[in-house]
Amino acid sequence: MDLFPVWLSLRVALTATALTLLIGIPVALLLARRRFPGRNVLEAAVVLPLVLPPTVLGYYLLLVIGGRGPVGQALAAVGLELAFTWGAAVLAACVGSIALLIKSAQAGFETVDHQLEQAARTLGRSEWSVFWSVTLPLAWRSVLAGAVLAFCRALGEFGITLMVAGNIPGRTQTLPLAIYDRVQGAQLGEANALALIAVSVVVVLLFGLSRLARLRY
Amino acid sequence: MWGVMRRPLLLGVALAWLALPPGSSVAAEPPSLTVFAAADLAFAFRELAPRFEKATGARVTLVFGSTGNFAYQIREGGPADVFFAADRSFVDALVAERVLLAETRTLYAQGRIVLVTAKAFGPKLTELRSLLDARVRRVAIANPAHAPYGRAAEQALQKTGIWEAVRPKLVYGENIRHTLQFVQTGAVDAGIVARSIADVPEVDWAPIDPALHVPLDQVAAVVRRSPRPELGLAFIQFVNGPEGRPIMKRYGFRLPGEL
Repeated sequence: MDLFPVWLSLRVALTATALTLLIGIPVALLLARRRFPGRNVLEAAVVLPLVLPPTVLGYYLLLVIGGRGPVGQALAAVGLELAFTWGAAVLAACVGSIALLIKSAQAGFETVDHQLEQAARTLGRSEWSVFWSVTLPLAWRSVLAGAVLAFCRALGEFGITLMVAGNIPGRTQTLPLAIYDRVQGAQLGEANALALIAVSVVVVLLFGLSRLARLRY
Repeated sequence: MWGVMRRPLLLGVALAWLALPPGSSVAAEPPSLTVFAAADLAFAFRELAPRFEKATGARVTLVFGSTGNFAYQIREGGPADVFFAADRSFVDALVAERVLLAETRTLYAQGRIVLVTAKAFGPKLTELRSLLDARVRRVAIANPAHAPYGRAAEQALQKTGIWEAVRPKLVYGENIRHTLQFVQTGAVDAGIVARSIADVPEVDWAPIDPALHVPLDQVAAVVRRSPRPELGLAFIQFVNGPEGRPIMKRYGFRLPGEL
């Protein structure tokens, strides 16, 4: 059995989760801490990917990053191609999962006591240092929970990936696409084996993380 | 604590990332051909592609899915060399837009529809009228709004004069394979699907008179931006050639005039 989809999916989901943390944490912090014009719009935009059907979202994304879309053409100008590559699968996974991280992290940041952060500031800590030594340690369980949800969602992403990355065996066929393909092709044995692998990965991950979550600051 | 815990965690993640093979591990070593093909071709092409590979030394990547999705993706630069559509309207539109090469446009089959009965249901249904039987509770067809085989099924039911009567029993599949799955799993009692995919152990099938629907012309063409259009055309010709035709016929893909 070809295990390429397993490796591809792990790589896509890990990369997507890393990107999601990188982009999602500042956005969550912004939403939790600041009142600014357009804040409601941003909050709505964050959850939009959860509302739209993934395939439809994929159609729109492909319009933007495809050969005739603005981003697609800008990338082509510098010799890059995103649509129908594994990078597109990462993008799809990020779009599909980032809301889960942002909402969870935002809730975590909102419960952090401002006075503790203020205290750190009066002691001369920089904003950067306050974040790493006070805010994040107090909210890390929420961030971790959000990251786990985002990773699982990224691993299972189907509809957006199908549209923007295609379902190309050996190139962009991720685990969910491969399982779907085998079911369609009446290769149920392989489909079951791949589904079992997907479930095992998540179980192992959750087990590992629950042990990690028992650690305290 | 964060500092102590963070480093091994990040290190582990980074190591895992590096240990995984790159996403695009399949480099184009031998000349390789990517075929976007309608879902109903899956069985026939899985048998056909290895023979083409043997005959030409080229590598073939088969991607199966919905004709409508593929048309959209190819328009947006999808990496197909050849497109085998389930009907001709999508190909003709892409030819008109100069996305596909007009001179490579080839009829490769006229699709047939058959009446399938779930083995779990019991007696094999042999004619459309038996769908009226009260024991048949659910009937699956592909969505006539966008699936060519669904449209053909609708026309056949209308021509038989039982469309209105059967309508309350209908369940729509997203595509023709999805429709077959409804029957295979026993979720519905009967259905109308493509002949080409009906040879599965869970169902029985009976032919439907092709005069009951407009011909399902299935057309293929080479994509203009393909770097190896001659290989794509060779694949189309192989499918329609002396090696391909018998396999295609066996799965119910006949050309006009073929028995």
